[in-house]
Amino acid sequence: MGDIFKTLERQIRAAGIRHGVIASNIANVDTPGYKAKDVKFDETLEKATIELRKTAPGHIGESGRAEGGRVDVESRPSWGDGNNVELDVEVAKMTENAIFFQTAVTLLSTNIRMFKTALRR
Amino acid sequence: MNSFDVLKISGSALEAQRRRMNVIASNLANAESTRTEEGGPYKRQDVVFASESVGSDPLELKGVKVADVVPDGKPPKTIYEPGHPDADKEGFVAMPNINPIEEMANMMMAFRAYEASVATFNTAKSMMLKTLELGRA
Repeated sequence: MGDIFKTLERQIRAAGIRHGVIASNIANVDTPGYKAKDVKFDETLEKATIELRKTAPGHIGESGRAEGGRVDVESRPSWGDGNNVELDVEVAKMTENAIFFQTAVTLLSTNIRMFKTALRR
Repeated sequence: MNSFDVLKISGSALEAQRRRMNVIASNLANAESTRTEEGGPYKRQDVVFASESVGSDPLELKGVKVADVVPDGKPPKTIYEPGHPDADKEGFVAMPNINPIEEMANMMMAFRAYEASVATFNTAKSMMLKTLELGRA
């Protein structure tokens, strides 16, 4: 039961980090030479979830693995000034990331509520 | 990453785009100015953006700042207007090297970038407030 908390905590932290990276891209939309970055954390999170399903209790929940994943430079071609930020792409990513975040927070608060209910019995 | 860094990043973008807007406003306002303190017609100004590190961040997230405001090197536009008080002997006047359409296009771009950073700021804010509500009720 505690592991779901850990997974969701990782998701929330990862979404926070990704939002920072997207904010940095949007801020630098007009900075010559700036290269857009993105966080690749989906695979790592997926691995963590799969492990949660298949492993026996006690083997799971090592922390510090999926915390943010890798920060990669986007390989999009750049404009004449060496900047490869696409404003619409970044705003779309931001919305997607915010929904991902909302989902994790909602799941986490539901879990907390369930715990509270159980404690009240 | 400090959770407040993202607000600083968006804030720096708002400041930089607002300063760019000031420069554009100044260019548009002076599109017809033939006299300046340093003599000659007004010269178009342009901003130079540079990314700037925010806080002590291992991810090296970057904010943005206006590194410099530089004059545009384009030569002044000369128009034939013999009646103008600043016309030379042949009747030509040196006008500022400003194309209002170019300035308007830049203004739209500054506005869109500003808008996007406001959206980023608001998203970050609502994410933070959402986490504060965890465990309540």
